[in-house]
Amino acid sequence: MNDSATNNLEAGDVHQKFRTIAGKKILFDKQGFLWHPEDWTEEVAVALALECGIETLSDDQWRVIRFLRDYFSYHGRAPLNRDLKTGLGISLMELECLFPGGIRHGARRVAGLPNPRTCTG
Amino acid sequence: MKKVVMKINGKSHQFIVEPDRVLLDLLREDMLLTGAKQSCDRKGQCGACTVIVNGKAVRSCLQKVANLDGAEVITVEGLGTPDNPHLIQEAYVLSGAVQCGFCTPGMIMSTKALLDRNPNPDVEEIKKALEHNLCRCTGYAKIIDAVTLAGRFIRGETTPDKVRPDPNGPKIGVSHPRPSAIIKACGVAAFSADIKLQDALELAVVRSTEHHAKIKSINTSEAEKMPGVMGIMTADDIKGTNRIVIIFPDQPILCKDKVQCLGDPIAIVAAQTKNQAVAAAEAVKVTYEPLPVLKNPREAMAEGAIQIHQEWPNLCFAQPQIKGDAEKAIAASAVVVEANFTTQINHQAPLEPEATVAYIEGEGEDAQLVVVGRSIQIHGMMANLQEALGYENVRYEESYSGGQFGIKAAMTSEGISGAAALHFKRSVRYIPSLAESMLLTNKRHAFDMKVKLAADKDGKLTAFTIDYIVDNGAYQIIGIYVIMRAMWMLSGSYNIPNINAMGKLVYTNNPAGGAARGAGPPQVTFALESAMDMLAEKIGMDPFKFRKINSLLPGQSVSTGMVYEQWPFPELCDAFQPSYDRAKKEAADLKSGPIRRGVGIATHAFGIGGPGDAGRVAVELDPDDGITIFAAVADPGEGNDSMLTQIASHVGGIPMNKIRLVTRDTDHTAEMGPAAASRMTYMAGGSLILALEQLKKAMEEVGSKTYEGLRKAGKATHYVGSKQAAGQEGPLDPVTGQGPSFESRVHNIQMAEVEVNTDTGEVRVIKMTTAVDAGTVINPHNLEGQLHGGIDQGVGYALREEYIHGKTNDWNTFKFPTMKTSFPMDVIIKETPRVKGPLGATGIGEMTMVSTAPAVINAIYDACGVRIYNLPATPEKIKAALTAKK
Repeated sequence: MNDSATNNLEAGDVHQKFRTIAGKKILFDKQGFLWHPEDWTEEVAVALALECGIETLSDDQWRVIRFLRDYFSYHGRAPLNRDLKTGLGISLMELECLFPGGIRHGARRVAGLPNPRTCTG
Repeated sequence: MKKVVMKINGKSHQFIVEPDRVLLDLLREDMLLTGAKQSCDRKGQCGACTVIVNGKAVRSCLQKVANLDGAEVITVEGLGTPDNPHLIQEAYVLSGAVQCGFCTPGMIMSTKALLDRNPNPDVEEIKKALEHNLCRCTGYAKIIDAVTLAGRFIRGETTPDKVRPDPNGPKIGVSHPRPSAIIKACGVAAFSADIKLQDALELAVVRSTEHHAKIKSINTSEAEKMPGVMGIMTADDIKGTNRIVIIFPDQPILCKDKVQCLGDPIAIVAAQTKNQAVAAAEAVKVTYEPLPVLKNPREAMAEGAIQIHQEWPNLCFAQPQIKGDAEKAIAASAVVVEANFTTQINHQAPLEPEATVAYIEGEGEDAQLVVVGRSIQIHGMMANLQEALGYENVRYEESYSGGQFGIKAAMTSEGISGAAALHFKRSVRYIPSLAESMLLTNKRHAFDMKVKLAADKDGKLTAFTIDYIVDNGAYQIIGIYVIMRAMWMLSGSYNIPNINAMGKLVYTNNPAGGAARGAGPPQVTFALESAMDMLAEKIGMDPFKFRKINSLLPGQSVSTGMVYEQWPFPELCDAFQPSYDRAKKEAADLKSGPIRRGVGIATHAFGIGGPGDAGRVAVELDPDDGITIFAAVADPGEGNDSMLTQIASHVGGIPMNKIRLVTRDTDHTAEMGPAAASRMTYMAGGSLILALEQLKKAMEEVGSKTYEGLRKAGKATHYVGSKQAAGQEGPLDPVTGQGPSFESRVHNIQMAEVEVNTDTGEVRVIKMTTAVDAGTVINPHNLEGQLHGGIDQGVGYALREEYIHGKTNDWNTFKFPTMKTSFPMDVIIKETPRVKGPLGATGIGEMTMVSTAPAVINAIYDACGVRIYNLPATPEKIKAALTAKK
């Protein structure tokens, strides 16, 4: 067996991982995005924001989160940045700075939007 | 050069051409008649380019234009249009003979030439006339039906109007023509290579000539000076992560320091013409430092083997499954069989090469990268391209697709075209050859399996153990899911109280294993179903009876421990029994002499609605009270357009011609996940019904079924439905492999009737019969088409097909199924409505692939007494086994 064959050996579903967030047991994907957007609550958003260094979500940050959730709920997909810019009237530069990790890895994660499904059984 | 005057579709044209210009290229490039397709690298192997020249069907890729002065050419576009189709085009549509549609224009032209000279051909004459036309989707059955129906139309025995189902009649259980079928039959559906892209650069890729090596240098200086070359890019020119990711980010779009597999991409050349790009790519000099090449998993797991990826060990994943105590049960069992089985690396073999195009739409901050290809998961692909290329504003558009069978769950050529469009700031076309397409794509995983199967004295299964080692190839596409899928469906149709399994996934320097029809279950089911026959023989019981008495029953659990409340397998056995009895009786008289008849059985219970799966479909009531469906429901040939249209019309009570589909681009669709795992009817159909139910509830609340009524009452006209499959509680336990499996199952019994020539080892399939309970049937033609195609692919997998990287490079070396290898197929349908299925339906895309190979192998054993443990069962292997037996 090669040197590290047994060290990083994975089992189970490497796409999914349970974590307890805001008192709820929630399934996440490997990148830390919610598996089920329905698991999201404002309390979950606050807890996820804290994890990425935001102690208190500002009004602007909540506006972005609510836009993302409304957009996803209506269209069944995440918005592109241009949709965010148009919908919120905020420049992309400002949007990227609002969340550590930017829009993709910050705002979308805190808003509980899932990654597109690539493996589905 | 030579001047040539030809009549094409009734109009005269003059061309001045080089001596080597072939008709196919002239039609596609000069005349923009793209109904004739290119698949086989202009070797005349596939017939997708068939046109009629001077009354005869010819493969246009073999016809030198210089020899055609004065010729009269008819292409598929010259027969009819979607508004005014030819009778043959109508016959193909009404017979359900159009799946992906890539081969269809060529098939139709061969049909035209045949019926012009013989309007009443028999089946053998049809097979002879279409022997040069390849199809991967249909198993040729419905194509023969279509030619037969076309003959009846032409002879005036019936008309399309008499055959066409009443569009105002029932919507479910009726073979309404697919919405997309007629444009495919008329040759006007745009596949990726057919897309007209103004001033596009043509791309070629510099690919590794080594299987495993460090890249020491890449010298592009000579190539850059070559005629027509606009630029050359390497990994350093990609701004993003440069990684293709489904599970592990281990696959680069362009390799920078190291190659892991023969054919790995290293640099992209953009030029004015394809030939210029290819010539320059050949002039790029790459120097390598070769590394040890790991050709199989056992070498890769050996002590001291080189680690292929620094971040992951070669043995990169292992999943056990433990239910009960298998070792103890085996020790106490009356009969036990033990054997080793292997399956081969195989190509999914879509006819269409891996073509993609890309361009930039808009300018400045709004500039959007548009990538067009035939992905079956456009949102996942878009997200991957965003990260890999470091460019957020991406749109993926699904073109019409010349088949995929799992291969397009992965990114194949999109990264190349997307990266080039961004780097060169130009529209680009990447149209690789068939040989290159084979080199660059993922393949079906090879399995190495060691099994034990045991039963008590009454023939009841007691235990099953299996250790399977899976060749992941050089990259992690969905290898982990292949291991998991095998576990989820490990016990097949049966109640096996004790299970002990271990699946291991191992990197090698072979081509990356990817999704391939069934993906995991075909391999382990080959082992289980072969062992079932071995055990039945040891017990002295008929193999079909043995399977029936071991059926799982409602309330019992599968190998994952999940309990099923519906399991209509015994009833399917009852429906199948007469066919089995007939076949056994016919074979009984043919057990001596050089040609011997055998009957083989295999079964499966294929999972539909994966654990934790979710779908999303949006619907909008339109101002004319029609409905538009917005969902990324890819349709590479299965007929998902039919499924959405017929369900929406049935549930919504709206005529089918007022159901509109928006399914093909990421800017306008709900994210639906991949058109894989036989999931679209179940998950997208289920989500669609949930969306429509919300719309209907709103209509009921306001007492109006109109757009105006809803608007005036202040009600929404747009709704999203999301079907959530069982198993939301999470993945299988990493230690025991216990946990959720699929929400529903599709049940199947497969029977092969074969003749084995004991002198040569050759096998002829006499007939395949499939019995299936897939719940409610929405469109019988589509269901049968999937069954036929899966069986044909399964027979190829059992008897002929094997992909050898670097050697298999066209359809002949692949041993593609043809009219000559085709065989009759019978289909027995049961429709037990599934409690959680949309209108009671499940899914059907992969199921018949799963149980076909073991049915064939069991039939060979029944015929001549030799068992093949290593697929494919070639004549050489059978002959060797017969010799050894003597």
